[in-house]
Amino acid sequence: MPMFSCWQRMTALARIIVIDGIRSHAIIGLLCLALACEAGGLLFFGFIPRDIGRVSSDFIFSISFLTGLIFLFFHAVNVTAWGGNKRLIHTILARPLSRAEYILGLFTGLTALLLLLNLLLAGAGYVVLVTIKGQIDPVYFSHFSTSHYLLTWLGLSLIELTLLAVILLLSGLIRGSFTVLLLALSYYLICSGLPVVRETVLQNSGSNPGFKGQFLAWLSALFPDFSVLDFKTYVITAQALPPLTVLSINFVTILVYAVLVLWLACFVYARKDLR
Amino acid sequence: MITYTAVSKTYPKEFGSSANLAMENLSFDLNQSETLGLIGANGAGKSTCIHLLMDFIRPDSGEIRILGQPVNNANLRKSIGYLPEVASFPANLTVLDMLRFAGSSCGLSRSAIKQRSESLLRELELWQVRKRPLRSYSKGMQQRASFAVALIGDPELLILDEPMSGLDPVGREKIISLILRLKQQGKTILFCSHILEDVDRLADRLLVLHHGEKLFDGTVPQFCTQQQVTTITEAFLAIIGNNNGDGDAHV
Repeated sequence: MPMFSCWQRMTALARIIVIDGIRSHAIIGLLCLALACEAGGLLFFGFIPRDIGRVSSDFIFSISFLTGLIFLFFHAVNVTAWGGNKRLIHTILARPLSRAEYILGLFTGLTALLLLLNLLLAGAGYVVLVTIKGQIDPVYFSHFSTSHYLLTWLGLSLIELTLLAVILLLSGLIRGSFTVLLLALSYYLICSGLPVVRETVLQNSGSNPGFKGQFLAWLSALFPDFSVLDFKTYVITAQALPPLTVLSINFVTILVYAVLVLWLACFVYARKDLR
Repeated sequence: MITYTAVSKTYPKEFGSSANLAMENLSFDLNQSETLGLIGANGAGKSTCIHLLMDFIRPDSGEIRILGQPVNNANLRKSIGYLPEVASFPANLTVLDMLRFAGSSCGLSRSAIKQRSESLLRELELWQVRKRPLRSYSKGMQQRASFAVALIGDPELLILDEPMSGLDPVGREKIISLILRLKQQGKTILFCSHILEDVDRLADRLLVLHHGEKLFDGTVPQFCTQQQVTTITEAFLAIIGNNNGDGDAHV
């Protein structure tokens, strides 16, 4: 029974986060713009001289991922951050919600919004890619795998959910939405850049990476390599996916990382003065 | 109902500001069905006192209990209706959305939420605008919406942080009438205000804070007698002036 009421309180919070997001003009505008850009793929593919499949697929996933990032860095940061005149946290915590329930409720609501956004973009992207493939010579777009397309979306969604968990953690550590935005952006840039730096160090140092290599390897525990969840290359090629065990390990590792970050966010909030 | 025992709170130093002692060794009680008015100049510790009660911040030392339970028990807030100084809602929600959230979090059934929402919104004259986004409400309407959210679970204790702040005389009168009605229903009320005439009208007891310390705890007539003046405003200015040493108080 207490578990049920805990769930009821979290879903009550998640519900208002979803309703607020669905009615937000900024989110509706972002969605319309992203859908228009995806549909724009239908107009410009004729200008691409070759490899139309790859370019179109990259375009669809880039637009979708960028839309997800804008949602996270602007809407999610704005909802989760507090301090100054942003006192929504007091209105929510004046209800019988624990701080952990508050964090999990926010996460659930924003996750639902993000997945809804991804679902719409994935559907539109699928229609665009299938239409392009049907209109051109197979030489330019030889292969399209629906299962790999879905797997790519799964990977992309997991990356975005991990970023959301990090934003929640940062909003517990620091006051003010702009600071959280800057740090979350820095975090994402480090995560994207670190694998490149590691690769360069490994290439330059040969078989003995030394302290620098080890330090960078440990740093990957803090800033995970999200490129392991990027499968967009496989959508338009017949190239085989990595073995199932490797795939599972990659997914589970990032998932465990996201859960740990979320747990840490609950821990930080539970101990913090919310002035 | 509320027991505050030797509570001290210092806000830790932050970038660009030093540590700030907000409350020192404060003790007081609030009994059932009593209305306590918390008054003090800016920075006296009124909001700190309320935020500690709501568990938004934690004391460095001392103990705070409501209905015999420590304030960090989230379930306890089913019995508390909190009105923040500035109403803060997600911009695109309606008052009905907020009431549904507040009611669900208290474990009320859907039909109970519907019934109670209608009666509260009619009483607070918000029924006609219930479907409008909260961002389009005036300050007074937002304050009344906040009141509706605070009252949805029919709480025993009301904690009101500056309930009349920023309201025009009409809005102020509406809120005062509402608080008086709640008083008649036997609710326990703790509120803070800068408007001493309102405190005089509403409070059974006064708690005067200054730089985080208690200067006076008693009834308004006792306060006036102690300061040898006739009005609450004169008494307040006298007590703060005596403690500042320069007679300057910002009410």
